[in-house]
Amino acid sequence: MLSAPLVIGVSFAYLLLLFAVAYWGDARAAAGRSVIGSPWVYALSMAVYCTAWTYFGSVGRAANSGVWFLPIYLGPMLAMVLAWMVVRKMIRIATTYRITSIADFIASRYGKSPTLAGLVTLITVVGIVPYIALQLKGIASGYAVLTSPLGAPAVQTPSWWQDSTLYVALALAGFTMVFGARHLDSTERHEGMVAAIAFESVVKLAAFLAVGLFVSFGLFSSPMALFEQAQAVDELRRLLQFGQGQPFAYAQWLGLTLLAMLSVIFLPRQFQVMVVENVNEQHLRRAVWAFPLYLLLINLFVLPIAIGGLLHFGPGTMNPETFVLSLPLSQGFHLLALFAFVGGLSAATGMVIVEAIAVSTMVCNDLVMPLLLRTRRFGTRASGDLTGLLLLIRRLTILGLLLLGYLYFHLAGEAYALVSIGLISFAAVAQFAPAMLGGMYWKGGTRSGALSGLLLGFAFWVYTLMLPSLAKSGWLDADFLHHGPWGLVWLKPEAFLGLGGLDSLTHSLFWSLLANVGAYVGVSLWRAPSARETSQALLFVDVFHRKAGTRPVFWQGRAKVSALLPLAGRFLGAEQAQRLFEDYAARVGVASIEQIPADAQLVQFVETLLTGAIGSASARVMVASVVEEEALDLDDVMRILDEASQLRAYSHALEEKSQSLERATDELRHANEKLKSLDRLKDDFMSSVTHELRTPLTSIRALSELMRDDDDMDLPQRQQFLGIIVAEAERLSRLVNQVLDMAKIESGHAEWHEATVDMRELVEQAAQSVGGSFREAGVSLALELPARVEPLRADADRITQVVLNLLSNALKYAPRGSGRVVLRLVDQADGVQVEVSDNGPGIPPGQQDMVFEKFRQVSGDDHYRPGGTGLGLPISRQIVEHFGGRMWMRSQPGEGALFGFFLPRSPAG
Amino acid sequence: MFHGLAAQRLVALFVAGWALFNFPLLALWDHDVLVLGMPLFPLALFVIWAVLIAVLAVVMERVTHVEGDERPGPVD
Repeated sequence: MLSAPLVIGVSFAYLLLLFAVAYWGDARAAAGRSVIGSPWVYALSMAVYCTAWTYFGSVGRAANSGVWFLPIYLGPMLAMVLAWMVVRKMIRIATTYRITSIADFIASRYGKSPTLAGLVTLITVVGIVPYIALQLKGIASGYAVLTSPLGAPAVQTPSWWQDSTLYVALALAGFTMVFGARHLDSTERHEGMVAAIAFESVVKLAAFLAVGLFVSFGLFSSPMALFEQAQAVDELRRLLQFGQGQPFAYAQWLGLTLLAMLSVIFLPRQFQVMVVENVNEQHLRRAVWAFPLYLLLINLFVLPIAIGGLLHFGPGTMNPETFVLSLPLSQGFHLLALFAFVGGLSAATGMVIVEAIAVSTMVCNDLVMPLLLRTRRFGTRASGDLTGLLLLIRRLTILGLLLLGYLYFHLAGEAYALVSIGLISFAAVAQFAPAMLGGMYWKGGTRSGALSGLLLGFAFWVYTLMLPSLAKSGWLDADFLHHGPWGLVWLKPEAFLGLGGLDSLTHSLFWSLLANVGAYVGVSLWRAPSARETSQALLFVDVFHRKAGTRPVFWQGRAKVSALLPLAGRFLGAEQAQRLFEDYAARVGVASIEQIPADAQLVQFVETLLTGAIGSASARVMVASVVEEEALDLDDVMRILDEASQLRAYSHALEEKSQSLERATDELRHANEKLKSLDRLKDDFMSSVTHELRTPLTSIRALSELMRDDDDMDLPQRQQFLGIIVAEAERLSRLVNQVLDMAKIESGHAEWHEATVDMRELVEQAAQSVGGSFREAGVSLALELPARVEPLRADADRITQVVLNLLSNALKYAPRGSGRVVLRLVDQADGVQVEVSDNGPGIPPGQQDMVFEKFRQVSGDDHYRPGGTGLGLPISRQIVEHFGGRMWMRSQPGEGALFGFFLPRSPAG
Repeated sequence: MFHGLAAQRLVALFVAGWALFNFPLLALWDHDVLVLGMPLFPLALFVIWAVLIAVLAVVMERVTHVEGDERPGPVD
């Protein structure tokens, strides 16, 4: 055993550490460097779901009934699968309308009804008190195990002021006030608290895993060995089986899973961390799988610890709920036991802090404020800053809640296992599901429907679950349990209308949810929703359909800025209100607060601000008290909605217009750039052409002048000059022809004479016509032709021109005397391929890209022979492409070049 | 709300999860044997659970923009 001062000292030191973390979180938030802006922190804060119930209770449950501790975690797994749709919608609604609690959510949806808000708050308080008692019990029994001799019964404290649990409750109340009710925030966000909760989640997981590893690998050699030993004991063997020797209770399994699935969303603390404290919707994307992963990890060693404890101590000798502590203690691992206790303390305090903050917001905003605002002193006509009062109410609520929890623990705690207490609370909050989910997806739900559903569901919960639990603890006469009230057997709380075969929890869940859903839907359908209900339904159900600027504002009347500003100041503090109004003025584009137009938008803005501080129902009452409103009827709602839709359509159209304008500008810019580059190309072309024309002209003129000036020139010389002049003139006319040709083809004015062409014949003729010049130059020309080629449609003259061009190019570059040119014709399925290869110098890689450009001749080596125009290849390519073919070249420098083209049999165009 | 490929995948996964954790698929594990030294039924529950988490993680992390319902809805 450990000494009591040590355990208490460590506990307080841990709580101080938590506070330091929270303080650090708040400081970072104030400095604008939030620590909770991460999906991982968000997921860890969701793990506040794991309380002392998980930490101590699951092991107890597992030791009694095997895997039956699991549905409580499988439900959240399934809920998280849909969280991206459901929880994200809740987050969007809550942030848009500044909703800070479940009570406010439901009340706001059904027309900002104070009655509904109060009822939800009441159900929450009644339902959550046992759950808080559970945490106190967890800490108290953990403390008892650590500080008393192993296996000894906990010492009964003689009087209440010596009861350590009371002090635990008071200490937790104090810490919660410091965490969550130090100052007011109109969004009810507590960054420091979330940081502390995330930290606690890490501690409890680490502690539980440490104990799990100790039991699985320290106490026993391995989990396999542990289960091996368990198989030998009949009682334990049965625990690990499917039905444990009985038919598997599917209904109960399904009931528990469903219950946990609803609870993980509708428990006040889960709503607080998942919805209210969410800083970014996108964090949900990772949290929906990271949170179930956390649950899986923390449950991994529950069975080994439970079975290990039963094996070690023997069944029935030790309370299984304390195995997490007693197993390390029994082996003398005191530090590990202390760490495990701190883990349990984490689980319990985390739950209590968040739950108490969430419930205190609800009680303050939805229960106390509406009542206070009716009194003369604080009412609508009074003035004066109420922020201090708000804080006081919240602090008192926290204290009251903890004391109620202590009371319940004192009255009923000893009789029940941790898990059973927790399940009672789960069943209570599950009653919110129909009104919440229905309100988010069904526009037809009404206030009376929600009210009657909640009332009936809650009544069934009290009658079939709460009262029996009190009776079983001995605080009520248990007679009505067995014989029904007034002897009416068919009213028995645990077999209502004689429905048997279900355990009491599933039985209660079935009847309460059935009554709840039935009344909600039935009464909602009884009459059409009112104007206010319709407008709120539209805002909630279609929250994703609208962007901030185009949300309809369902309000009409007259308002004054001078009345609204002091009102906001009363609940938010004058300075804060001043600042928020200045921001608003800047947003609507006016210079000062006085110039803000007092329209529906402003009223909506103020009401939303107040909703954050005092709840939607009270905010409605307060705003209504300072403005002159005109009541809306259903037609007004539809008209406003219509206007908003039109506005949305206009803004949508505007957006589309500006987009298409942008697109048009883009296209114009592209066209302009293209034109510019074409213009540049034309200039280049002109200068190239003139350059090419000038070269032969210059030589013709020079030679002619020579002959004119020199009368004594001898005949052979003159003959030679004249020969050159003729050749240059021929080159000139060839050039002009080609330029004309090129221009015609490019502009699409060329004449094409299509006919059936036999390529073999064409190629042979072309080879014959250049045969003379090849022989003269001493270059061999080899033909590789197939025996027969399918004819194709083309212009024979033009194709001949292409082949001749390729041949004369090859001849030009082939070495004199040893040159070898091969002309190859290949008949393919879809066309004909012609290749001409030479053994000339080849084309350097740098110049290969340019050969098909106009006026480019491969130059720079000894073999360069001027005489070409630089237009042959570009023209050839144009021709080939006209018939749907393509042209290419391959070359390795020093190994010749290969030019080829392909003509399809059926021209593609 | 439930439009879009990712949303449909999530709904399908939800239905699959319910089916796997309830009657009658749960009865598949009704055998009193040890697999890898672990009792079959608890082992199966944890494995199914882990697989569900893995699939959920893939669905959520792979689609960079599941938004979908951000675009203006039909005019009411």
